[in-house]
Amino acid sequence: MARMGMVFDIKRCIGCNACTVACKQENSLPDGVFFTKTLSEEYGVYPAAGRVYIPTLCNQCDDAPCENACPSGATYTRDDGIVMVDADLCIGCTSCAVACPYDQRTTIDKDMLEDGLYQDGQLTAFEKQGYERFQPGTVTKCDFCSERVDAGLKPACVVTCPTDARIFGDLDDPQSEPSRLIRDRDGKPPMPEMKTKPKVYYVT
Amino acid sequence: MSAATPIVGKNDFRLGYRLQHFWDFPMAAAFFFGELGAGLCLVSLYYEFTTGLVTGLILVGVGKPYFHLSHMGVPTRSWRAILRPDRSWISRGLIGIVCLIGFAVAHLAITRLDASSWVGLGGAADLLASATWMLTAIAALVVVTYQGFAMSQSPAIGLWRTPLIPVCSLLYGLAGGASLTLVLDAAPFVGFLGDEVSEVGTLLLTLLCVLAVAITTLLAGARNGSSGSRKSFELLTKMPLAAPFAGLTVVVGLIVPAVLLLATPHDHFSAVIITAATLTGFLAFRVLVFKVGVYEPIISFAPQT
Repeated sequence: MARMGMVFDIKRCIGCNACTVACKQENSLPDGVFFTKTLSEEYGVYPAAGRVYIPTLCNQCDDAPCENACPSGATYTRDDGIVMVDADLCIGCTSCAVACPYDQRTTIDKDMLEDGLYQDGQLTAFEKQGYERFQPGTVTKCDFCSERVDAGLKPACVVTCPTDARIFGDLDDPQSEPSRLIRDRDGKPPMPEMKTKPKVYYVT
Repeated sequence: MSAATPIVGKNDFRLGYRLQHFWDFPMAAAFFFGELGAGLCLVSLYYEFTTGLVTGLILVGVGKPYFHLSHMGVPTRSWRAILRPDRSWISRGLIGIVCLIGFAVAHLAITRLDASSWVGLGGAADLLASATWMLTAIAALVVVTYQGFAMSQSPAIGLWRTPLIPVCSLLYGLAGGASLTLVLDAAPFVGFLGDEVSEVGTLLLTLLCVLAVAITTLLAGARNGSSGSRKSFELLTKMPLAAPFAGLTVVVGLIVPAVLLLATPHDHFSAVIITAATLTGFLAFRVLVFKVGVYEPIISFAPQT
């Protein structure tokens, strides 16, 4: 069975956040909810100052602390390694959110689904169709666009990236693009000391 | 991570430390009532103090669930929290609560209501009383510590990622229980411990001293630990949180009750002041430890100088 993962090429990322917008659109995310963000890190002092862009999303950990912490079994890992949240089982205790070292989980509040993007209590047609997948009070997160993956497609953020800074594929296939990148360019996972075995890597 | 790495807001698009915001006051209060109630049950079991045991069960069975349910996103599904004891400390703790209440009620029925005579147990009553006492004590120990284990098991928050967190849960639970025992014992018409009340005072004083050592060690570990725990230490020891931490947790919660235990006679008034101070410090510790929980920056690509 495949083990889906992602590699971020920091040299290619320009911080445009098109991935963030594509993700919000694909997943119909309410205001204030982000499954992925590209963060900026500034360093140095003029004239030796600089800025680097760091994409982030759920790392779909092989030893997910969120899954260990979840008391209801709502968080589970699929056969292909994607960590999912079953909203029908989630009790909203946020133990998973507290357990995630990467702070990649969000609680869906009732107000988010009622106020609408224009904060006037009216939902657009796009919001109405999209918000049906969310249950207020539950926790949600990136699932690598699992429905797209099941259809043989790549996640929306990967497809949208104009510089191909996001590379998605099977980490168990040594010939897949992510596997080759990790091997050839010394890919590093975020916070390896947390021992969560993330399936997201960064190459520089 | 450099000292200049900022603390950023939840949806800030800058790399930085993020404050834990999921567990706030209702969860802190739920933790407080759970540990206090279970600690009171443990102290009351040791001294066979019925009023204390019943009060502890009320704190665990009513106070804790009230605040937990007010935090839950979907309270009607809360029963599902019991389903994963193989992995989740939350599930183990909830099973512990159910066992604590069940075994404690059974113990009280056998020892105080002479239930054994109703069901014709005869000579087995003493054995059952001992067995239910032991099982109640074990369940109370689970309840008083499981929240601390749930916090320390998570790799996310550096300050919490230490065995001292469940140790502090146990110490605070016992200290709160001992202080409440002093108040309940001094209250009229609720039964009395007799000479053992001075033992409870000594126990409380000892627990306060050990707590001071535990909290100092926790802070020292945080100061020398991961970048996240150092940031938490900085938040606790600088304004604005340094004032409630030093004032409430340390002075009101530890020093004031210790001084009063040593300097004042054991009467109802001083017991109330000692208990109020101890519990104020306990609750303040719970709230502040949640407030200063910090997620470390995910990764850094700044050139190392």
